[in-house]
Amino acid sequence: MASASVFLIGENASNIKLPHSEASDAIETQRDRPIVLLVDDEQLIVDTLAEILEGAGFFVLAAYDGWTALEKVARCRPEYLLSDVLMPKMNGVELAIAIRKMYPSTRITLFSGQAGISDILLDGKRQGFEFELIAKPIHPLKLVEHLKGKRTDLS
Amino acid sequence: MVSLKPPALPLAEKPALTEIKAQSRLLVPDVNPGGAQDLNQNDPRRSEDRHAEVKESGFDPRAHLAAIVESSADAIISKDLNGIIVSWNDSATWIFGYAANEIIGRSILMLIPPELHQEEDYILGKIRAGERIDQYETVRIRKSGERFPISATISSIRDATGKIIGASKIARDISDRKENEQSRFQLAAIVDSADDAIVSKDLNGIVRTWNQGAARMFGYTSEEMEGQPILRLIPEELHYEEDEILRKLREGDRVDHYETVRMKKGGEHFEVSVTISPIRDASGQVIGASKIARDISDRKRMERLLVQSEKLAATGRMAAAVAHEINNPLESLINLIFLARKNSPSEGKAYAHLRTAEQELERVAHIARQTLGYYRDTGLPAEVHLHELIENVLTVYGAKLLANDIRVEAQFNDMQKITVSRGELVQVFSNIITNAIDAMHGGGIINITTRKITSPRGEGIQTVIRDSGVGIRQEYLEKIFEPFFTTKGNLGTGIGLWIARELVERRGGQVSVASSTECGSSGTSVTIFIPFAPPDSRVSSHK
Repeated sequence: MASASVFLIGENASNIKLPHSEASDAIETQRDRPIVLLVDDEQLIVDTLAEILEGAGFFVLAAYDGWTALEKVARCRPEYLLSDVLMPKMNGVELAIAIRKMYPSTRITLFSGQAGISDILLDGKRQGFEFELIAKPIHPLKLVEHLKGKRTDLS
Repeated sequence: MVSLKPPALPLAEKPALTEIKAQSRLLVPDVNPGGAQDLNQNDPRRSEDRHAEVKESGFDPRAHLAAIVESSADAIISKDLNGIIVSWNDSATWIFGYAANEIIGRSILMLIPPELHQEEDYILGKIRAGERIDQYETVRIRKSGERFPISATISSIRDATGKIIGASKIARDISDRKENEQSRFQLAAIVDSADDAIVSKDLNGIVRTWNQGAARMFGYTSEEMEGQPILRLIPEELHYEEDEILRKLREGDRVDHYETVRMKKGGEHFEVSVTISPIRDASGQVIGASKIARDISDRKRMERLLVQSEKLAATGRMAAAVAHEINNPLESLINLIFLARKNSPSEGKAYAHLRTAEQELERVAHIARQTLGYYRDTGLPAEVHLHELIENVLTVYGAKLLANDIRVEAQFNDMQKITVSRGELVQVFSNIITNAIDAMHGGGIINITTRKITSPRGEGIQTVIRDSGVGIRQEYLEKIFEPFFTTKGNLGTGIGLWIARELVERRGGQVSVASSTECGSSGTSVTIFIPFAPPDSRVSSHK
């Protein structure tokens, strides 16, 4: 099944202690597909979205929390970050700020199922960081369209 | 003969007024056991006979008069036409502080404050003309230098030939009275300047006094209310309150901070807090009541607003929590069904079922977003053309409009872009357009215009969305922005317009609704104004 291979790749990429050759293998597997860093503490959302995005031609790095996410992109720049906002340990805005600092050109989209997250977004705003936010649930095709649309904007 | 003079009074200890009165009461009957009353009244005989009789009894009228003068509680002074003091009674001594031998032969000006010396010329002028000055109120000086108010009556004294040779002056120390007056005036001033209505009424509920605060509060002047029943201020359905109040008063009880409703002259009802206490006469008998009323409609309005906003806050917190618990599983569910469909043969039945399931989930997602997941912060406000945004919303409802046979007429004249949060405004227009669709069961027209206007809130874009639907009944109009108020029965959440207004107002704008239910011309028109300039407090006003 497609999902199995996705997660194999994801796991490999997360291992930052990989020998040089293995890391380049992972990047080789990725070939020309844009990398999406996908983060949500709801595992089912991550698992299903990863499969959908892979199917739509993205290379997905999946994580269930912010720290793991940061580890996964330590060596390679993701083209996209798609992250939930309300997560334990590190929230989506904190993660987004970290990614912005590491990779200023990464396109960042936050998505949330909840209205009461203004405080978290405001914290980011005060530090000078503003991120796009879309509402959950969003139909998979719309999400893909959204990400691809951003990519077109870029080029 | 008993001495006509009261015992000499040492100057150091001024006797109290009552003491002097007591002495005179003791002395006068001694002089004439017959008594003044017997002499003058109820005696049918001619006055000469009476005089003769009085003389026979050895009575000397001059001595009698001297006794009266000496025992009078008032200062009795005589002076000549040059203002030189000729006689001085004991009360004059204790009122002014000078002994007779100190002052007789001196000028009356000693008793008059320097700035009032011209009064004496005026008085002497009147006296020379044979006129009398009655209860003239002025200020005099005691020996100690203390000034005090007096009331003086001054009359001329004539000699045997009728020639005016001087003046007698009867002066009364009115310091006490003045003080009383002063404190009464002060009390009256306090009552009149009070913000509260202060009213007194008798035990029949008839208004006796009415202060300016009452005039301001109720709209009746004191002339209109004094003598009138207090029931005029009480709404008819509360008239029973007055009976209860009067019953309590008669028992001597008071009513403290009683909150009720009263009526203004124009018939307008308002909320008051009333304190009513019995007024008693000197013997302790309750003769009426004082009533202090405070207009508490502002406070009550604030209280209601507070309760309302508290409710809203609680609702908001709950909605946010529920949204999280619903939207996340929905996201997974949509993804799962999408994947399941992708993995089933596209000609099969399963594929069709899963496609339908997806559509149904879209509906659920839409409702959840509308009711729970409204985004206060869909993040970054962006520059948009309002008409593009409205057209997007219309596209979403395209199928629904078609199915309901509803035509949309639009005139967009908003050439200028405006900075708004797209997500928020999409929600505002979705809610209003959904309402319009729901109001037009048999088809109709939705007319939408946008244009740039200048309002008191500054320049901005005004959008008017008018439908030809059934309209909103007048009594519902004021409630439609309240949360959970709906005219759609079980199908409505009562939350759409409330959210729409919240969002627009937070952006510094305004929403208003006009509606008619009249047959043939019914419909509702919603006007949304959004200023170009976002409110400065936008960020800081968020918690």
